[in-house]
Order: sequence, then C-alpha cells, then structure tokens
Amino acid sequence: MGFKLNYLLSILPRLIGAAAVNIRLAVIIMLFALALGTALTIVRSLKIVAVNACIAVVISFVRGTPLLIQIFIAYYVLPAVGLDLSPEVAGVSAIAFNSMVFVSESMRGGLATIDAGQIEASTALGLPPHAIWLKVVLPQLFRRIVPVLINEATIVVKGTALLSVITVVDVLRTAQQIASASYRPFETMIGSALVFLVINLVISLSGRVAESRFAAARV
Amino acid sequence: MSAPPVLRVSNLTKRFHGVTALDKVYLDVHAGQIVALIGPSGCGKSTLLRCLTWLEQPDDGFIEVAGKPLGRELMPGGVVRRQNRRQIDALRPQVGIVFQQFHLWPHMTALENVVRPQTVVLGRPRDEATRRGIELLTRLGLADRMDRHPHALSGGQKQRVAIARALAMDPALMLFDEPTSALDPELVGEVLAVLRALAGTGMTMLVVTHEIGFAASLADRIAFMDHGRILEEGPARDIMAAPKEPRLRNFLDLVRADHRIVTTTVTPTE
Amino acid sequence: MHFDPAVLVDYWPLLLQGAWLTLQVSVAALVMGYVAGIAVALIALVPGWLPGLVTGCYVETLRNIPFIIILFVVYYGLPFCGIRLPATLVGTTALALFASAYYAEIVRAAILALPRGQFESARAIGMSPMSAMWHVVAPQILRALVPPSTNMTLTMMKESSVLSSITVPELTYQSLVVQGNTFAPFEVFAAVASIYWLIAVVIAEASRRLERRVGAVQAEAVSRNRIADRYLSLVARRT
Ligand SMILES: Nc1ncnc2c1ncn2[C@@H]1O[C@H](COP(=O)(O)OP(=O)(O)OP(=O)(O)O)[C@@H](O)[C@H]1O
Ligand SMILES: [Mg+2]
Repeated sequence: MGFKLNYLLSILPRLIGAAAVNIRLAVIIMLFALALGTALTIVRSLKIVAVNACIAVVISFVRGTPLLIQIFIAYYVLPAVGLDLSPEVAGVSAIAFNSMVFVSESMRGGLATIDAGQIEASTALGLPPHAIWLKVVLPQLFRRIVPVLINEATIVVKGTALLSVITVVDVLRTAQQIASASYRPFETMIGSALVFLVINLVISLSGRVAESRFAAARV
Repeated sequence: MSAPPVLRVSNLTKRFHGVTALDKVYLDVHAGQIVALIGPSGCGKSTLLRCLTWLEQPDDGFIEVAGKPLGRELMPGGVVRRQNRRQIDALRPQVGIVFQQFHLWPHMTALENVVRPQTVVLGRPRDEATRRGIELLTRLGLADRMDRHPHALSGGQKQRVAIARALAMDPALMLFDEPTSALDPELVGEVLAVLRALAGTGMTMLVVTHEIGFAASLADRIAFMDHGRILEEGPARDIMAAPKEPRLRNFLDLVRADHRIVTTTVTPTE
Repeated sequence: MHFDPAVLVDYWPLLLQGAWLTLQVSVAALVMGYVAGIAVALIALVPGWLPGLVTGCYVETLRNIPFIIILFVVYYGLPFCGIRLPATLVGTTALALFASAYYAEIVRAAILALPRGQFESARAIGMSPMSAMWHVVAPQILRALVPPSTNMTLTMMKESSVLSSITVPELTYQSLVVQGNTFAPFEVFAAVASIYWLIAVVIAEASRRLERRVGAVQAEAVSRNRIADRYLSLVARRT
C-alpha cells in the first residue's frame, strides 16, 4: 500500500473547490474582526473604568480558552438561549469574536509606538477627537500592524478548518467525505494540508509585498 | 632596556578569505609604555587586537606576552607547536581587552561583572574577588554605581566597568579598541584622564584610536598601520613632528584637517 | 433558559479526568516539542544554505497548516507507515510536532539576539567555552526564552482541545460526552471553559513569576503626557 500520487492529484480539484468555502469565511471573519477590533480599541481608549474592567475579563477569557470551545459555545449554547444560528454563522461569529480580541490587543501594542507629539500637535490645532482618530491615529496604526494582521489572517484561515467539526463542509470535511469513500485517508489529508499550505503561503508572501510597498510609500 | 617586552609581536599575519588583514606585523611594547596604534579605517587595527586575545587565530607569526608565547610557540629545532585551548585560556587573563562596545554582561550588576571572571577564571574566593572588585570600581569613580545593571549606566560608566573587569584579572597588558569612539565627544577628556591615571599605576597599554590628538596627548609611542602593516613606529613626539613615511604624513594631514577642533581641545599647548 | 449547575453533579469526575489528561498531554508535548525545537534551531544555525533551507521548510510547513490537519495527517500517516499507537500517544506526538516548529523559531531568535561579543568577551578574559556558556550565554538566552515559550505553551495547551476529534479523552472530548448525556450545553461549556481558563491563568501567573526569577526583560510602560494618552493608551486609571 504505497503512496498514490495519482490519487492525490485526482482529488485536489475537489479540495481546491472546497477551499473557496474556507477563503470566503476567512475574508468575512477578517472584515468583522478588523471593524470590531477597531471599535473595541476605541471603546477601550475611552478609559471608562467599569467598561474596561469588563473588556479585560472578556479578553482574558478569549485568550485563555481554546478556539474550539468558543466555536462549540456559539454552536451549542447560543441556540439554547434562543439564537438559532446556522453552523456557518455560528462558526464565523466565534472566530470573528476571537480574532477581534487579538486585533484589539495588537492595536494596543501599535498605539504605544505612535509618536506622542503628533497627538499634542493635533489637539493644539483644535482637531476634534473623531478627526484625530480617523486622520492621525488609525492610518498610522493600520500601517504599523500590517504584519500582525497578515499573521492574524493566516491564523483565521487555519481556524476555519475547525468549522468542519460543526458540520461546515470545508476542505477538511470534504477530505473526510472523500476518504471515507476511497479508504485512502492519508493521501487525502496530505492533499488538504497542501491546500492550506498554499493559501497561507500566498497570504504571507503578498503580505510581505504589501509591507514593502508601505515601507516604500513612507519614505 | 634589557627586560623582555611585555608584548612582542613578530611576523603576525592574518588573512580573511584571501584578504590580508595583517601583513607581517612586528611590534614590541615595553613595560609601563603606552603605545597608540593609529591608521586609516580597515587597516587591521581591530584585527590585531583580536589576534592578541586569540579571538582570531593568526595564520602565521608569533605573540609573546610577558615572555611567554601565546597560541603558537617555536620549539627548539624550528618546529612550530600550536598550544591547546587550555594553555591559551590560561594566558588570556594576562591580556586585558576593553572592546569598542564594552560587551558588559547585561544580566549581572556592575560589581558582578568584575567579580565573576575572577572567581571563574582565577579561582579567587568570592569575598576576595568582591573586595578587589569594590576597590577597582571605587578607584574608577563608580562607588555608587556598583549595584546597577549595565543598561542603567552611561557610556562612560560602562567603559569604566569594562576597564575594571579587565584590570581585576591583574593583566600584564591592557588593550583598548577605540576607547573614545562609542562615547560622546565631550567625554574624550574623561577617557584620557582615566587612561592617564591607569598609566600612573605603571600599566602597559596598547590603545587603538582614530583620534590623533588623543594619541598624541596620551601615548609614549605611536605606531602607524596601513594595509595590515606597521609602517612607522617611534616616540610620539617624533612621529607627530616629523613623520618619515609619506602615507603617514598624508594620514596626519587628513586627520588634522578633519579633527582640528578635537585636536585643539585635547592636545596640551606646547 | 435557566442555568442549573446541578445537572453536572454526576459528571465532575469525568470533566476533571479530562482536565488531568489535557495537562498531561500538554506537559508531554511541551517536553517533546521543546527538545525537537532546540534540535531544529541548532541545525538552522549551522552555516551553509542547506540546513537553513531544510529547517525553514520544516517550520514554515508546520506553521501554515491548521493543527487539526497536522493531527489527521499524523493520525492516518502512522498506520500508513505501519506504526500503530494509542490515540492519546498519536495526539501527543502531533501536538509536539506542531509546537516544535514554534519552539524552534523561539530558540533560534533567542540565540541570534545574543550579540557575538558577549561570548567573545567571556572567552577573551579567559573563561573556557563551557564557562562562557554557563555564566554568560545561557542566562541571557534563558531570559529571552521564557516569555515567548510560556506564551506558546499556552497556545499549545489550548490547541490540545483539537485532540478530541481523534477520540483522545481529554477535556474537550469529555465535554462533548457530557453534553451528549445531559443536553445542557450552557452548563457544560461554562464549566469546561472555566477549567481551561483556570489552567491558562495559572500558567500565565507561573510564567510571570518565572520571568521575574530569571529577570526577563519586561516591557516598560511608556509614560507619556495626558493628552497623548487619551488616544494612545488603553489603560484606565482609577482616580
Ligand atoms: N571577520 C572578518 N571576515 C572577513 N574580513 C574581515 C573580518 N574582520 C575584518 N576583516 C577585514 O580585515 C580588514 C581589517 O579590519 P579591521 O576591523 O581590523 O580594521 P580597523 O583598522 O579596525 O578599522 P576601523 O578603524 O574601521 O575599526 C578589513 O579589510 C576588514 O574588512
Ligand atoms: Mg576597528
């Protein structure tokens, strides 16, 4: 029972087709994570003690529990409290929530590296807070955390593979379906590993290109 | 002088992938002398110091420290014998080096930086090593900085800790690589004072420097190096006043033009 | 919807057994993964292009594939090579493999971050290579290793939940068993999440102590002025 390369090649098209699901979900998740993460960061910057204390607990919870458990909570617990979500929506919400926290945490790190003088100058010029956020802080912040966001995108892509556990038909679940019919699980899993490897390498490489563009634009 | 020199370098040659960094270097430094080694950038000054501590292994030639061969020795009958690591390590404390970037150990306090090598290398009891460390640091004006870690010290203070660390091993010879270059220009006078004080204790020193004024006001003798060779060596006054070697004359003109300000502040008026 | 912890009363032993296995698996994978990671890092530092290329491929491959897929590759790959092991061992091996890639990067970065002059200054003063390693190099590398390593170990502990999908009876697996028996998802996952959270908090606290012990470089709080802090700090000060 040797390794059947032909078989592996024959199933790749189906796996690549299924990868569209992972990519679509990952894009949606990243958009939510970015928007919500930014919002969360701004809320935290208001420094309302009680609110920030609650947020700190949520952050600690999200960072301290497995993503898989968070997905199960969205999938099993939310329906029990009356929120009946499809597996896809439940999974996307869980990963997006998780990712939101990581985006906000990297923004916290990025904010610390922004030059304080600009803020003083902007304040002295009488810019209102929303303008300072939109025109001064956020553009620099996003530029600074591009590498972190790229990394987060690959983490999100990897996270979408967990959604197969809650019946989303993604690369992994497709692979499992194929394997149960062909009895060649090893080649099939290698196939899905390759699919993820390519997706994430493309993300990392394009991220590096984008970074150097940004770096060039700054000079 | 009949006593053997503290440092005797003969025919020292070092190549890096075909690039000759040291080309048959000969140099003697006698007890109590301060020799300044000057020369253009890339001429091999740092390489020479690194060879003298055996951080680089020279390809050819011999080094003698206080009469004892270092690294390689000439046996009767003209056979060259390479010393083993232990023999080299045993001689290394004899040659104290203060690196350009000091290389203090950041996870130890200033005092521990001075104490630890004494206990590890010389096997001194800890309290004796501590006493010596405190004495040296106090002498170098760091009595109130001993418990600080290097990151909490200024550049000049770090340098003095590095000097104390080397001195604690009771070296026969001290090597300095560009002692002024990692510090603010205003500190040149301070470094000069520290090295002069050291000279006052009779310490033998070989000091690599870019600052010609610094060399002139500190050294007894000056050696000029270019392209890996020592082209001229002699009493500081003679070298400064009447350089024979055309390349040295060129170098002096160049540096004097560049460093007029520093030179005038450091060189004592004559 | 009501929250009734009493439904779990018969199942606590099962959950605690699961938690215990999670801890055991994580510790075993930490040890195995770290040893492998150090080996990979040392190979990566061998001069020449080949060692760097090979270890680079190793690290990048493992880091860019979801752990659940690595797990299944190992799970089906071992029998494919004629090796039959119990699921728990398979899962631990896969976890160690996964973590080794990250540990390798951590170790490599810590070694590269150490300036060459540190070792050289110790050698130049007469320390033997072993002494220089022990007194000068190792303490500094250790300091640089602790924060990222504990972070990664936390990540790995959380990833161990994925072992449930190959029927390793760790905490997540047991939570699904209990959920199937009680149909009380709220109570079950609240309990399980709390156990994970507790483990994570304990690891984080332990690492903080360890960091202080080895004097790891702490990120210094940047103190700035109040105007800039309005935007650039997220720390709420009690007034
Ligand atoms: N590790 C090395 N590998 C290859 N070449 C080297 C190495 N170290 C030094 N060299 C070369 O040897 C020559 C002498 O270098 P060295 O550092 O001794 O010069 P230097 O006189 O100290 O210069 P500077 O005044 O700029 O410090 C240079 O051409 C340098 O490029
Ligand atoms: Mg030099």
